[in-house]
Amino acid sequence: MLEAFILATILCGFFGIIFKKNLVMKIISMDVMSTGVIAYYVLIASRDGLHTPIFSNVKKGIYADPVPQAVILTAIVIGFSIQALMLVGVMKLARDNPTLESSEIEKNNMP
Amino acid sequence: MNTLTIAWIVLPLFTGFIVYLVPQLNRYLALGINLLSLGYALQVLIAESPLTLQLLDNFGVTLQIDQLSGYFILTNALVTTAVVLYCWHTDETAFFYMQTIFLHGSLNAVFICADFISLYVALEVIGIAAFLLIAYPRTERSIWVALRYLFVSNTAMLFYLVGAVLVYQANDSFAFAGIGNTPIEALALILVGLLTKGGVFVSGMWLPLTYAESATPVTALLSGIVGKAGIFPLVRYALMLDEVDTIVRIFGVGAALLGVIYAVFETDTKRTLALSSLSQLGWILAAPEVGGFYALAHGLVKPTLFLTAGALPSRNIKELQHQPLNTSLWIVLVVASLSISGFPLMVGFGAKISTLNNVLPWQTIAMDVAAVGTAIVYARFIFLPHHRQAGQEIKFGFWAAITLLIGGLIGANIFYFQAYTVANTIKALAIIAIGWLAYGLIFKRSVLKLPRVLEDFEHLIGGMSLMLILVFWMITT
Repeated sequence: MLEAFILATILCGFFGIIFKKNLVMKIISMDVMSTGVIAYYVLIASRDGLHTPIFSNVKKGIYADPVPQAVILTAIVIGFSIQALMLVGVMKLARDNPTLESSEIEKNNMP
Repeated sequence: MNTLTIAWIVLPLFTGFIVYLVPQLNRYLALGINLLSLGYALQVLIAESPLTLQLLDNFGVTLQIDQLSGYFILTNALVTTAVVLYCWHTDETAFFYMQTIFLHGSLNAVFICADFISLYVALEVIGIAAFLLIAYPRTERSIWVALRYLFVSNTAMLFYLVGAVLVYQANDSFAFAGIGNTPIEALALILVGLLTKGGVFVSGMWLPLTYAESATPVTALLSGIVGKAGIFPLVRYALMLDEVDTIVRIFGVGAALLGVIYAVFETDTKRTLALSSLSQLGWILAAPEVGGFYALAHGLVKPTLFLTAGALPSRNIKELQHQPLNTSLWIVLVVASLSISGFPLMVGFGAKISTLNNVLPWQTIAMDVAAVGTAIVYARFIFLPHHRQAGQEIKFGFWAAITLLIGGLIGANIFYFQAYTVANTIKALAIIAIGWLAYGLIFKRSVLKLPRVLEDFEHLIGGMSLMLILVFWMITT
């Protein structure tokens, strides 16, 4: 069930990148897609259990797998920095193309 | 050896920051790092025994350095050195050198990693560094081209990430070794991510515009080595798993033909070279066993051609045909074009012959056609008019870079001198002769313009979903 929702999120983001006309909306769609991917990692990590894997005397039961979570942290940071870079690029483009329609920008820059 | 490897992989990333602290040292540091890589690569190629480094408690995070890595690292070192030499006397800022060093370091990381997550991180760092280099002139066009590149590469890498976690789920490890034991959807997602990142076949159609609109040194870097970052893992998987081997070979043939067909009808010099890159990447994949050597041959030729194309008076080939160019530039063009067409005495000959001898029977005809196509494309550069000009002065940096690359073209012959048999030489010469004849009779006057609809931004992203379905279907059948 959860898996289906996550895949739906990824697909929504993907189709957003294709069908949204505005560049900022495209970037947000890409963020939706990456949110879906991150959620998928968290889901797979929690297959075995939900507790945080911290060593202590209190017995808590089955732990979540820390590896996918540790790994996806890197991907979150990378995704964030790419978002930031893209938005800076869009800001620069917005000066000459106030509507930010990707098809218009493309038409001007396809020799 | 372990310590040396770790120092070598960390140093570029460290030095990149030093450049920012001490901007006066920029080009010296960049050159130093590249020479270090050059030494390391030669040492790897001579040692011949694979080296594996494993992180403690690793979950599959490993480094693996072997012959194949050696070729790619050598290519990386030579290309980046040439670009640094080319920029030596220009007024590039410390920022440019910093990005070049980061790019160099992360490319090295790709060529030695043996797990999906290290590969992901390295590829994303490459994406960011390449974005900054492309957008560096900060004109509207360069920003748009860079944005487009980052968009495509990041979307592809998101698919790849989903594939990577499915591999982890099946194996409890991120190591490449687990690729044999994965669900097919994981394999399809990973392959699509890498095919797009590497610029292979239809998913590589982002490549012509990106290469054509970037600054000359940046294009040399992109075509010489950055494109190979996506190719290297594909070659690795192909050598590990038979299923992948078949798919990679099919895509290799497809890309080799597609690129060459587009290139034959193109009239813009930089776009021709970019489309020919698309085709050459296919050649690397067509025979994965010898892909490393072909990558070296292509990595030496393409930057030479792009740097020379940057020095030509015009980008339109029709104008160049009426405007004689400097003889010394023309000689460089001819040497590089002959090498990429597979003329003996140059490394391109050995590479082409070794690929043609290692392809499977069903690939032979297609690859021969692609070889003839390459000869046709480069005949256009060889038969340009030229004369000796006194007034036109070409910079020292350009000649330093070209000398290094052409020296490499001839020197790298030693890696495969067995290619020099009578049969091979006749075959190579026949391919070139047919190509030149076809050029003179048919293609010299052709005015056909192929549509560029595949290169639209939306189609690039949408193409990814189609490729996903295609790869999925290929694996299941």
